[in-house]
Amino acid sequence: MTTFGRRRTVWLAALIVAANGFIPAIWILLTSLKTESELMRMPITIMPDAPTLQNYVRVFVDQPILTFLWNSIAVAALSTALCIVVSALAAYALVRLRLPAPGAILSALLAVAMVPLISLVVPLFQTMRTLDLLNTWPALVLPYAVLSMPVCVMVLVSFFQDIPNDLENAAMIDGCTRAGALWHVVIPLTAPGVFTAAILAFVNAWDEFLLALTLSSRVAKRTLPVGITLYQGEFSFPWPIISAALVVAIVPVCVIIAVFQDRVVGGLTSGGMKG
Amino acid sequence: MSSTTAEAGARHAATPPARKGRARLSPLERAERRLGLMMLAPAVLLLCAVVVYPIVELVTTSLRFEHLAQPWMGTPFVGLDNFARAMSDEIFWSSTLNTVIYIVVTVPGAVLVGLGLALLANQPFKIKWPVRLGLLLPWALPLVFTGLIFRWFFEFNQGIVNNALMLVGMSPRQWLSDPFLAFVATCIAIVWKSSSFVALVLLAGLQTIPRSLYEAAEIDGAGRWQQFVEITLPMLRPAIVVALIFRTITAIQTFDIPYAMTNGGPGHSTETLAMYIHKTTIDFLDLGYGSALAVLMFAVSVVATSGYLRYTKRDPRKEA
Repeated sequence: MTTFGRRRTVWLAALIVAANGFIPAIWILLTSLKTESELMRMPITIMPDAPTLQNYVRVFVDQPILTFLWNSIAVAALSTALCIVVSALAAYALVRLRLPAPGAILSALLAVAMVPLISLVVPLFQTMRTLDLLNTWPALVLPYAVLSMPVCVMVLVSFFQDIPNDLENAAMIDGCTRAGALWHVVIPLTAPGVFTAAILAFVNAWDEFLLALTLSSRVAKRTLPVGITLYQGEFSFPWPIISAALVVAIVPVCVIIAVFQDRVVGGLTSGGMKG
Repeated sequence: MSSTTAEAGARHAATPPARKGRARLSPLERAERRLGLMMLAPAVLLLCAVVVYPIVELVTTSLRFEHLAQPWMGTPFVGLDNFARAMSDEIFWSSTLNTVIYIVVTVPGAVLVGLGLALLANQPFKIKWPVRLGLLLPWALPLVFTGLIFRWFFEFNQGIVNNALMLVGMSPRQWLSDPFLAFVATCIAIVWKSSSFVALVLLAGLQTIPRSLYEAAEIDGAGRWQQFVEITLPMLRPAIVVALIFRTITAIQTFDIPYAMTNGGPGHSTETLAMYIHKTTIDFLDLGYGSALAVLMFAVSVVATSGYLRYTKRDPRKEA
C-alpha cells in the first residue's frame, strides 16, 4: 500500500471509531437546540434552523433539574469518598500486611461485591423502609459504595503493588510507625491510583438507575437518571425537554472523562484485566 | 536516604519468606496481621450490611407470603410455594427467555463490535484524543440515557432511522411497537453501549502484543488475515474471555435500556427477568413472589461470577 493510501485508511479508522462514539451525543445536542415546531416537522432537519436555548430555559425554570443535579452530585461524591476509604484500607492490607490467604480474601470481597443489583432491590427496599431511609441520600450512598468496590480495590491493589516495600521499611526504620509510613510515604505515592479509582466510582454512581428508581423515587430526592427518565409529557414523550435535560446531565461526566481520559482508560483496563 | 533504603532492603531480604502457622509468627508479624484485619473490617462490615444481610433477607422472604398491598394476610411461611408459582407463570418464562435471548445476541454482538472498534483504534494516530474519547463516551453514558437516545433514534415520525430509510426509498418501520423490531432496536442500543468497554479492554490487550511477532510473520510471508488469525486472536484470547464473562454478568441483569426504550413492551415482548422482578415487587408490592424470582436469578449469576473469579484468580502480594 502507498503511504498516502495507508494514511487514508488510518484516518478512516479514526473517523469510524470517533463517529460511533460521538454521533448519539451530538444528535441529542442538535435536538436540544431545535424549537418544538421544528422537531414536529417532516422530514426532519439535521442542523437546527434557528438554534434556540428555549428548551434549556424550560428545563431549568419549569423542571426540578437543579434538584436532580444536586442529588446526583451529593450521592456520587459521598459514595465515592466512602468507597475509596474502605477500598484503600482493604487493598493496602491485602498487598502489604501478613493476612492469611490474601488471594482468597480478595476473591471473596470481589465475589460478594459483584452480586447482581436486582437481587438486592427487594431486601434493600424492605430494610430502608423499616429504617425509614427511603428517599434519603444514605439509601443510595451505601449501596453505591459497594457497587464500585470491586473496581476500586483492583485498581488500588495494582497501585500498591508498584510501590517498593523498601520505601516503607526505610520510613519505619527512620522511626515512623506503620501508620506513619502509610500516611507519609504510601498515600502520596498512590495519589494517582486513588484519583483514578475515585473517577471510576463517581461515574458508576452518577450512572446508576435501578436502585435510585427503587429507593429514591420521590421527586425531591431523584437523581438525574431517574428524574429525566420519569419526565412525563401530557400527550407524547417531551423530547425537547428531555434532550436539553440529557445534555445538562451528560456534560459533567463528559468533562471529567475528557480531562482525565488517560487515567480512566488505565483504571478501567487494569481493573478489568489485571484483576 | 539511600543508605537506609539499602539497609532496609538487606533486613527485608534476611526475613524468611512466608512462614506458615500461627505459633511461628513473630510479635511484629502478629501485630501486622492484627492491623491488617482491622483495615479489612470496614469493607467487610459494609459488605455485610449492604449485601450479605440483604441476601439472607431475600432468601427468607422468598419462603414467605409477603404482599404489601395485603397486610391483613400477614407474612406466613409458605415453603417453596413461590417457586412453584414461578414454574407455572407464563410471564416468568417469557421474561426469562427474553433475558436469555438478550444474552445470546448482545454478548457476542458486543464482543464482535468491540473487537472491530479495538482493531480500528489500534493505529498509530498522531492525535489520540478523538478516538479515545469516542470509546470512552458510550462507556460513561448512563444506560438509561442510552435507552432514551436510541428511543429518539427509533421514533416513528421524527426518528433518524426512519428518516434515513425514507431517504433511500424504503418505508418507515414501527420500530418500538412491533414486538420483533422492538427487540432488534433494544439489542442495537445494548450492543452500542456495551461494545465500547469491550473495545477498551481489547485495545489494552492488543497493545501488549509485541510488534516483533508481526515482523517475523511478515518475513515468513504471512498475509494480513493469517497474521490476524495466527497471532492477534490467540494473543487476545485472555482479554476476550474476560470481556465475554464481564458482559455476560451484566447482560443477565439487563434492565435500564429496555426500561427506557419500550418499558418491556409491546406487551411483554422486551421485558427481561430483572424488569419483571422490579415490577412484581416495587409496582405490585408482591415481595414474597418477587424475592423467589430474584433468588433464581441470583443463583444463575453466581455461576457466571464464579467463572470470572476462577479465570482471574491471583495472589495480590505477587506482582502481576
